[in-house]
Amino acid sequence: MTSTPPHPTHTRPAERHDPLPDGADHGGEEAVLLLRLAGPLQSWGDRSVFNRRETRPEPTKSGVLGLLAAAEGRAREDRLDDLTQLRLGIRVDQPGTLLRDYHTVSDYRGRPLLQAGVSAKGRQKPTSPAKNTHITIRYYLQDAVFVAALAGPAPLLRTLDTAVRHPAYPLALGRRSCPPTQPVSLGLRDTSDLRQALEAEPWQAARHVRNEQGRRNSYPTHVDLSATIEDPDGDDVRHDVPQSFHPRSRSYTSRRVRHLWIPTPTGFTTPTNNDQPRQPSAGHDPFALLGW
Amino acid sequence: MTYLSRIRINPLRAASRKLLANPRAMHGAVAGGITGTPDSERVLWRLDTDNPHRPHLYILTRSKPDWTHIVEQAGWPGAEGEHAAIRDYTPLLAQIATGREFAFRLTANPVQNTATPDKATPTQAARLEAARLEGRQTRGLRIGHRTANAQLHWLLQRTERWGFTIPPSRVDPPAPGLAPTNETADADPPREVRITARQRHSFAKGGNGRVVLHTATFEGHLRITDPDAFTERLLNGIGPAKSYGCGLLTLAPLTNRST
Repeated sequence: MTSTPPHPTHTRPAERHDPLPDGADHGGEEAVLLLRLAGPLQSWGDRSVFNRRETRPEPTKSGVLGLLAAAEGRAREDRLDDLTQLRLGIRVDQPGTLLRDYHTVSDYRGRPLLQAGVSAKGRQKPTSPAKNTHITIRYYLQDAVFVAALAGPAPLLRTLDTAVRHPAYPLALGRRSCPPTQPVSLGLRDTSDLRQALEAEPWQAARHVRNEQGRRNSYPTHVDLSATIEDPDGDDVRHDVPQSFHPRSRSYTSRRVRHLWIPTPTGFTTPTNNDQPRQPSAGHDPFALLGW
Repeated sequence: MTYLSRIRINPLRAASRKLLANPRAMHGAVAGGITGTPDSERVLWRLDTDNPHRPHLYILTRSKPDWTHIVEQAGWPGAEGEHAAIRDYTPLLAQIATGREFAFRLTANPVQNTATPDKATPTQAARLEAARLEGRQTRGLRIGHRTANAQLHWLLQRTERWGFTIPPSRVDPPAPGLAPTNETADADPPREVRITARQRHSFAKGGNGRVVLHTATFEGHLRITDPDAFTERLLNGIGPAKSYGCGLLTLAPLTNRST
C-alpha cells in the first residue's frame, strides 16, 4: 500500500450503485455543466448546527448537489452516488456581502420551548428553568453571483441540465428561503476540464458591477476571478461531500480542492492600454535609466 | 563625473555578515573603494535587500571607484557575471528636467531637531542643562521619527524644497456611506509613495556610546519641479546619516500602470 492520503471521492468501492442505464463505463464521454448561482440571498452552510447558522463565502458541494437532486425530484432518502462523483468548480463572479440575520423563535401559545432531552415516554421535555425565546443567528450572502461547473459523464449532465430547466421541486441557493434568479443553467460544454470551461464563460456579475469595475480599471478585456476547483492533488480540504441527505442519517465526507485565479472575459471591447496581463513588479532598478 | 555602482553581496560570508549588520562597517568598506581622502567627496550608498539572500549595495561616487576588496571579501570572486557594475551617471543627469516623472527609492533617516525634547535621556538632559548654566546656545537634539506616519510626513513636508513633488495617488471612491465627512476628511490627499521597510540600527562608534538610527525606505513616484535643486539632492543626498546608508535617492523608469 502506498502512503497517499485516502481520497473519499476516489476510494469509493468499485461495486457502487450507479442508476444510470449506460453505467460508468460510457467510453469516457465527459462534459461540463455550468450553473449560474445568483439571487438576492444565498446561504451555504457546511458545519453549522443549533442556533448559529453560518455561510461559506462560496457554494458548497452539498448545496449544489442538493439543488440538482431537488431539480430531478429525488427524495431525501434516494442515493446520491452518481451526483457525488461529479467534480465541482466554483468561480466567484461577484462575492456579495455578508448579512447577519438576528432571529428569535418562540411558541405562539406562550409555552416554554422544548429542550433536547426526552422524557421516559420519548417526548421532549420543556426547558427548566423555562426558556421562552431562542435567539438564532443566520448568515446570508447578499447580492452574490457564482458560476458552478460540474464535470462528469455527459449523459448524466444532460439529464441534470433538463431537470434544472424544468425542476421537480423549487430550487434554492443553500436554504429554502433563497430562491435563485433565472437562468440557473448555462448549459453544457464539450470539455472535461473545469478550468477551461470556467475560463471561457463570460463574467456573470450584474451589469452595474461590471460597469463600475470597468470604469475604475479602464475597461480591461479580462478580470481575474477567484475560483475553487476540485482536485485530488489540491492543497485544501472541504468537508462538504454529502453521502446521503436522509433525514435520519445525514453524513458528509471531504474532498480536496485547489484555489486559483481565473482570467475571465469581461465583454468590454473598448481599446485600452491595459490589455496585456498585469506583470509582477520588477523591483527598483536604478541602472535602467543609465542606458543599460 | 559621477558613477553609480552596484555590488553583489554574498550574505553567507563572514565579512559580509559584518557589513550587512553594521552600517559603520559598511561605511568603512565603501570609503575604502575611493582613492581620495575621506573628505574629498560625498559618497552615498544604500543596501537593497529586496531579496535578503541576494542583497545589492548601491554606491554613488564622484570619482571612479574600485570595489575589488568588497567583492573579494563579501562577494563571489570566482563566479561569472558582473561582480560590481560601475556606470556613468551622466545619462540620468541629462534627463533631469521640469515635469519629468520617475519611480524613486530612498532610504532616509527622518529626524526632527529640537532644543526642548519632551523626554530627554539623562545624557541629553545633562547636555542641555550644561548649556543653560553656561548661558550659551546649544545645538538642538536630533530626535529620530519612529512612527511610519511621522516618517512619511517628514518626507512629504520636504519634497518641494528638494525640487520634486509626489503626485496624489489614484484612490477608488469609497463605499456608499463610508465617504469621509468634513470633520474626518484629511486635508492632504494620499500620495504616490509608501514605506517599504523601516529599521532601527544600533551600533557602537568609537569607544564610548552607540549610534541609534531609525531608517525608513520610501518608494513611489516623483515629478521634478526644480531641476537644479533636484540634481543637488540627487548628488549630495537627502537627510542625515548619509555615511550610514541613508540619503541616496535613486530613480527608475515608471512601469506601465493602469492609471
